Amino acid sequence: MISASFRRRLLPYVLISPLVVFIGALSFVPTAVTTVGAFFRVMPLNPPTAFIGLGNFRALFTNPVILTSWVNTAGYVAIGVVLSVVFGTAIAVALRDRFRFRGVVLALVVLPWALPAVVEAVIWSWIYDPTFGVLNSALHSLHVIGGYHLWLGLNRWLTVLFIEIVQVWQITPLSALIILAALQSIQPDLYEAARVDGAGAFQSFRRISLPLIRPAIAVATVQALVLSLNIFDQVYILNGIAPLGSSVMLQTYVTTFEDLNFGGGYALSLLMTVATAVLSMAALALIYRRVEAA
Amino acid sequence: MATTRTGGRTARAVTRAAAGPAGRALSRRPARILGRAAAIAVILLWSVFPIYWALNTSLSTLSGADSTPAHYYPSPLVSTSYRAVLGIGGAGYGISSELGRSLLNSTIESGAAMVLTIVIAVFAAYAFARLRFKFKRTIFVSVLATLLLPAYATLIPIYRILSTLGLVNTYVGVILVYVSGFLPLAIWILYNYFTSIPRELEEAAFVDGASPLVALLRVVIPVAMPGIAAAAIITFLLGWAQFLFPLILTTDLATQPVTVIVAALNEQRIVPFTLLMACGVIAAAIPGILALVLNRYIIQGISAGSIK
Repeated sequence: MISASFRRRLLPYVLISPLVVFIGALSFVPTAVTTVGAFFRVMPLNPPTAFIGLGNFRALFTNPVILTSWVNTAGYVAIGVVLSVVFGTAIAVALRDRFRFRGVVLALVVLPWALPAVVEAVIWSWIYDPTFGVLNSALHSLHVIGGYHLWLGLNRWLTVLFIEIVQVWQITPLSALIILAALQSIQPDLYEAARVDGAGAFQSFRRISLPLIRPAIAVATVQALVLSLNIFDQVYILNGIAPLGSSVMLQTYVTTFEDLNFGGGYALSLLMTVATAVLSMAALALIYRRVEAA
Repeated sequence: MATTRTGGRTARAVTRAAAGPAGRALSRRPARILGRAAAIAVILLWSVFPIYWALNTSLSTLSGADSTPAHYYPSPLVSTSYRAVLGIGGAGYGISSELGRSLLNSTIESGAAMVLTIVIAVFAAYAFARLRFKFKRTIFVSVLATLLLPAYATLIPIYRILSTLGLVNTYVGVILVYVSGFLPLAIWILYNYFTSIPRELEEAAFVDGASPLVALLRVVIPVAMPGIAAAAIITFLLGWAQFLFPLILTTDLATQPVTVIVAALNEQRIVPFTLLMACGVIAAAIPGILALVLNRYIIQGISAGSIK
């Protein structure tokens, strides 16, 4: 017989055990395998597997295509973080106060976040189309451009910018919602006091809203950082495996599953995992510290 | 979260009351309203135009879509692209069978992953929110830390583990991987919801002699339904949108989700954009409609996860 008190003490462990098994087997074990595998030569079609120290990393840093993908990814991250946080803040400020149909507007704003990135990228590839794309057509009608342009695949930074815009379109709703929630939790008497003291809209945004939504901006920044460091779907659809606009995630895929160099894939993955952790911590520390200073 | 909502409501009430009698505020009003209307118009254009453009192209004839300058609405408006990709008529490039099967696969994979994630997450989140046990904090923090773990860290080993177990190209394999990926976010949303429920509700049940498990099932879960719905919908949408993991874990139509099929059709470079856009609209229809109808829960789930 199991006593009632024993069962009661056992309950929490029973409740969390499926979670622990899942996260252990499919998050922690794989992360450990990646970490160790980065220092081994692993080629399933060309054995043996052997310890090679930093050999995989040395090979990565002498491969021009992979070096290009690192620099491109830095571009994806810079553009993605800045645009999604700035647009997200602007949308949150515009939608803070109640107005008619606000619910409908919010629902439509969230829509790009809810749709599959692959489908979105295919839609944007049609918008960017060099012969029949609406971007060329609209800019030409407005006399912004003289002739139709090839937006993707010619100029490296233009390619990175136009691919990242597709990701920004998808992830901006996330920043907007996070910052909107923070804006709405600010006590209204603060704005009232500022208004009595003669502060304008911009002043009260800078002096009241901005310091108080900084934690939310930090969360939005880290979200955008992780998502843009991982950019894959949009690059796969809009750039293919061409080196010009390639991202590190795409090179990890190519190295591992097309070249079947698993060791190289592990090494790239490990570097990116460390980069993600370091950059996230740095972003949080930087933005949180500024709150205290403000 | 509940406090946030009330806070927002009071904020608006006070702003309105203050703006009413003050002459200065009154004179500024038309300009501000115009400015805000313009801002909202720009926001809507940015959010909706690409989706409108996909609909426009999918409902145009091929010559209507391939025109310079572009036609901003379908003239004539035709359903030929949809009939072609659904296999009802016209040159469909054999898309209909692929599209139908992959939609079924997407539904099964994201649906099953959602159910399994929510069941596991509800029990675990309740334990973290209410029960005392050894290593609670360590386990909780470790689970949440995986929220920041990029796909890189697990992608290749997961492929190797699944191929060792013979689970590549099976529903079970895909679903297990999705569940492990979605659990941390579901736990975070549900944990925040559970801790916002007053303990008095369960204590009444304990007085009546109920065990914690009974209290969870009879008292907490019914009250937490909005939070559970939020976690469920977000999980389903994440599952439907997956591409990289199914790209390597599924190898044929037996398990390939619709994202993989749309990418493959796009890669062929012979399928015209009218048909591609029809496929895209169909592939995005289920998440799109869910997001529009249930947006309240999505907004609540995302905001709840970020505030604390």
